[in-house]
Amino acid sequence: MPQASQSARPERQGYVLLAPALIVYLLFAVYPMIDVVRMSFSSWNGLSPGANFVGLANYRAIFTQDPVFWGALRNTIWWTALAVTLPNLVSFGLALALNQNIPGKSGLRVVFYLPVIIASIAVATIWKWMYDPFFGLFNNLLMQFGLDGWILDWLGDRKVALWSVFVAHLWQSVGFSMVLFLAGLQGVSATLVEAARIDGAGRWGVFRYVTLPALKPTLMVVFVLSLINSLKAFDIVYGMTGGGPAQSTQMLAMWAYTQSMQLGVFGRGAAVSVVLLLITLVIVLPYIRWMFRREEMSR
Amino acid sequence: MTLFSQAFRPVGSAKVDPVLIALWVSLILLALIWITPFVFIVFTALKSNATVMGASAFMPPTELAFENFAAAWWRGNFSTTAFNGVVITVIKVPLGLFISAMAAYALAKVPMRMNKALFALFLFGTMLPFQVMLAPIFRQVNAFGLINTYPGIILPYLAFGIPYQVFILYCFFSAVPKELSEAARIDGASHFTIFRRIFLPISLPVLSALLILDFVATWNEFAMALVILQDPKMWTLPLGLMSFQSQFSSDYGELNAATIMTVLPAAIVYLMFQRYFVAGLTSGAVKE
Repeated sequence: MPQASQSARPERQGYVLLAPALIVYLLFAVYPMIDVVRMSFSSWNGLSPGANFVGLANYRAIFTQDPVFWGALRNTIWWTALAVTLPNLVSFGLALALNQNIPGKSGLRVVFYLPVIIASIAVATIWKWMYDPFFGLFNNLLMQFGLDGWILDWLGDRKVALWSVFVAHLWQSVGFSMVLFLAGLQGVSATLVEAARIDGAGRWGVFRYVTLPALKPTLMVVFVLSLINSLKAFDIVYGMTGGGPAQSTQMLAMWAYTQSMQLGVFGRGAAVSVVLLLITLVIVLPYIRWMFRREEMSR
Repeated sequence: MTLFSQAFRPVGSAKVDPVLIALWVSLILLALIWITPFVFIVFTALKSNATVMGASAFMPPTELAFENFAAAWWRGNFSTTAFNGVVITVIKVPLGLFISAMAAYALAKVPMRMNKALFALFLFGTMLPFQVMLAPIFRQVNAFGLINTYPGIILPYLAFGIPYQVFILYCFFSAVPKELSEAARIDGASHFTIFRRIFLPISLPVLSALLILDFVATWNEFAMALVILQDPKMWTLPLGLMSFQSQFSSDYGELNAATIMTVLPAAIVYLMFQRYFVAGLTSGAVKE
């Protein structure tokens, strides 16, 4: 018997160390995820004690009756497609530039990263003020240059509002990927670059055949992280437009929130959440497998 | 000119590269554009409403209207929101790091049957966006009767912070040589002792990087606070700013003063500890 308890004890200690984190994580992150699936098959108004099972009615409602859902989905897709490309191209260019031998690099890096640590809701406030139709920076600038014809109500015009919000997002998010790219560039072997130079490779050659292949894992990480970040776009839209005008900047994460928390139709809100979670899982699960493998391999 | 004497020369070349100079000039221009929003809000915050509406938007303020800050502090209830922000951050951040470190140690160094599955479970959580499921989180916190309380916001914050921190610390602990902990185990030390005496001290650099990152993230968090802290007495700074923005949107000077007061703590922390930010962000994401 002592033999058995000897081998069981360290394992028990392990579970004791693990328990607090695991319990909190399961209760407040994993359980809500399961709960939202259950909720999406029921009707609940947020007040009554019980919920009725309604089958697929919520899904049918959001797909066929909800006038906002498809617009929100379209906006989310557009936003995501732009968010994984535009800001990251800028970040990549910045990182490549800041990796060169130029003066003042650390100061420049601080400037580009600063918006990342600003609360998104403050970014929203700042940009909302810059977009102010009467006293904001943009319309004042246009007036100054005599471009009165270009003056717009940036957040009030349903044709441009989403893109106006996106520009603010771009300003905020470029620094984040830039730092990841810079870290990736540190991993590009200097000897390899020099060897390629000596072999007569030009700027483009070095970039194409040395730098880019070495950056492959970083590109993957940046791609997935910005994809996830764009799916959860919430604060900035909430703060700048609240989904308006006329739902033209509505997105799925916020539409799920609006339905549940403001309109009190938790079942429909949950169905929207589930759709969004499924999209997330499709992207995330292969990535996690890749991370897991890499972690295993490095051991 | 010592700063410039070696600059603009590509690796392994003694000549100044004109392309690099052009690149540098465009970087400076872009940086100026990047910083313009900050300059604009500082200018506005120091102007009276009459000046904002009367004079050109780019003019620096002539008479500095510092009273905007005092007025915004008072009208925006900053003493309450700042206090709540401090309480929540000061409890959540160290507590989260401590329990994450414990879990990461157990996963990395204690042989358990479920190690792999549990690690995968945490890894999954690093990618779970809580903005997508605010209502079920609200429901869960409500089930515990914790809406409008500090524990009610701290627990979900912990739950969504733990996976990333466990992941980073797991990677760090895994890289620690086996001999270090095994020698201590032979001497009869329990895992609790080894964790506290050996692993916690050696992980201080990683912990401080995570601490800084998590401080800013917690301080700035908005969506979760929006659903859980509905009583204005419990609001944090971002909630206070949002409400200020919707109530007093045409008091331009005060609104911008409120924005500045909201972002200043995080900005100061960032400027003081910038190298930790980079370390904390990249140690997990871009690992060799």
